[in-house]
Amino acid sequence: MRILACLKQVPEKDSRYKIDDTATGIREEDLVFETNESDVYALEEALRLKEKLGGEVVVLSLGEERVLKTIKSGLAMGADSALHLTDPAFRGSDAFVIATSIARAISDQNFDVIFTGVQSEDMAFAQTGTILAQLLGWSHATIVMEVNVSEDGKNARVKRELESNLFEVVEIPLPAVLTIQSGINQPRYATLKGIMQAKKKGIRTLSAQDLGLKNSQLGSMGSVVDHQKMFFPEKKKKTVILEGTPEEAARTLMERLHKERCFSRWPSAERNSLCLARFWF
Amino acid sequence: MPGKILVLAEHRAGKLKSISWEVIGFGQKLAEQLQQELKVVLIGKAIECLADEVSRKCGQKVLTIISDRCEAYTPEAHCQILSQVAQQESPFLFLMGHTYQAVDFAPKLATMLGRGFIPNCVDYQIEAGRLQFVRQVFNGKINLQVGLKGEPPYFVSLQQGAFNAYEVQSRQSPRVVNLTVPLPEEMLKRKVLEIVQAAQGKVDLSQAEIIVAGGRGLASKEKFQIILDLAHTLGAAVGASRPVTDGGWLPKEHQIGSSGQTVTPKLYIACGISGAIQHLVGMMNSSCIVAINKDPNAPIFSVADYGIVGDVFKVVPVLIELAKEIRK
Ligand SMILES: Cc1cc2nc3c(=O)[nH]c(=O)nc-3n(C[C@H](O)[C@H](O)[C@H](O)COP(=O)(O)OP(=O)(O)OC[C@H]3O[C@@H](n4cnc5c(N)ncnc54)[C@H](O)[C@@H]3O)c2cc1C
Repeated sequence: MRILACLKQVPEKDSRYKIDDTATGIREEDLVFETNESDVYALEEALRLKEKLGGEVVVLSLGEERVLKTIKSGLAMGADSALHLTDPAFRGSDAFVIATSIARAISDQNFDVIFTGVQSEDMAFAQTGTILAQLLGWSHATIVMEVNVSEDGKNARVKRELESNLFEVVEIPLPAVLTIQSGINQPRYATLKGIMQAKKKGIRTLSAQDLGLKNSQLGSMGSVVDHQKMFFPEKKKKTVILEGTPEEAARTLMERLHKERCFSRWPSAERNSLCLARFWF
Repeated sequence: MPGKILVLAEHRAGKLKSISWEVIGFGQKLAEQLQQELKVVLIGKAIECLADEVSRKCGQKVLTIISDRCEAYTPEAHCQILSQVAQQESPFLFLMGHTYQAVDFAPKLATMLGRGFIPNCVDYQIEAGRLQFVRQVFNGKINLQVGLKGEPPYFVSLQQGAFNAYEVQSRQSPRVVNLTVPLPEEMLKRKVLEIVQAAQGKVDLSQAEIIVAGGRGLASKEKFQIILDLAHTLGAAVGASRPVTDGGWLPKEHQIGSSGQTVTPKLYIACGISGAIQHLVGMMNSSCIVAINKDPNAPIFSVADYGIVGDVFKVVPVLIELAKEIRK
């Protein structure tokens, strides 16, 4: 099996953001970046598939130099080699441009399966993998919670998450793109040995020119949606922020809730806690 | 702007999904503002009764595509059908709910037609005659205004709950029109083998009066214990955000949100939960919401009645002590 895992680097979840002067992006100076959450699950799934059926896992990331950290952590987790697509002209690209670039980068590489995360924590368009499948003429399945590839490598049986706690089991022919949902597995941590080995693994760098892409096909010009401006959302509800030390704030909160009779039904609520207690203790 | 808005409605077990009613209501409003015609599109097998019901209720034209090959959803059939609908109807806009189905086929369809797909919108604007949508980015901390680019049709999906202020109106042109689209079997690459309901857990949070919920901010399974302790002293049920159940700190049945339970307790105490939209849709109709989070910009505060900006490990132990005092 030749397996590709696409990793995006995104700002850490607790980041505080500043919108940049163009109002179409954020200022990156003070941000710390990490690998997108569902992409880590996607890589773990790729590594497990290789362990089961043999083959090779390649990780791919598109972005400036900082994404090398994400690539290296993917190699340290166990990927065999990496592709780094990097070019200033990629800035401001939407999912279509990114999928187009990935499709170009791998068109001659005979992958059997591509794993991506369901969506990125930053732009959350949730479509790079699906567009990629369409551009390659492959099948796809999104929001995947279980993957079983047939021994002969021709089909994949996957479980997709649906609404209201429903799941569907579908079969699709390979090659295919699978977008992986968090919780599908427990991703491994890189071992010290893995980190050492990663240093010797190959990272191939490709620019827009290497991919045969012109500036007009990239960035906001090549994009199919028009990102006009970013702004901070207005609050919908008037929140009463309780000030003071943790003790003071907690005390005020309990007084308020008590006064508003939020606890008026305590005795009858007891069974809820008993129900939980059975499981936990 | 003459033209048509097509609402793609979704159904399961013979009923329209609530999100689809929401999209129809908003579609009617938008069609009125832009002076466009609205049609509802329904795809499936044996959906004649449903189409009648939808058409009567909203008084709009319903376009049905009925085929045995559409008994279960597949992206190939949906894309084939909708690209033909696009050709025949030349719509200005395709509107749909942001559902597990839309995520699966809409990017493929838009790409087939050389267009873009704007997912998960929470608001819209018409500025100087131009329609724009607003969507949340960076985990709900920033809003992004997105414009339509290139030629129509445009593809847009709406976040559940964000447009429920637009109630479905009863218009005067109910009618059902059937359209036949050939669906050769070899085209349908995806085979649906079964649809399964996750095992019903023992925990039914929908009846709970008080829920204490914890998120990734609790840091580990061991540290999550203080959430259980607070719930215990308050006689409350325990809820969680997805990372908590993904990580195995609690069983899946405690998860609240779009892929978990929907709850409406009298009191919801969210601890170390950032307030991603997928979590909010499961709890934002609680009567009183308390948020405890160290990040003053966390989106959970935008739905909270009371907020404490602080460390859960400092605040929650005090709450437990105070609750014990009150209970005496
Ligand atoms: C298709 C799909 C379905 C999904 N379904 C669901 C769903 O049903 N339910 C759900 O919850 N999510 C769901 N998600 C995931 C969702 O997008 C978010 O990733 C998730 O809700 C985040 O959980 P969280 O708030 O616990 O974690 P984070 O977003 O990481 O937030 C942790 C918060 O804790 C705060 N914090 C950290 N340490 C402390 C401390 N010591 N004291 C106080 N505060 C602290 C931080 O400031 C931060 O705000 C879904 C996602 C997708 C793509």
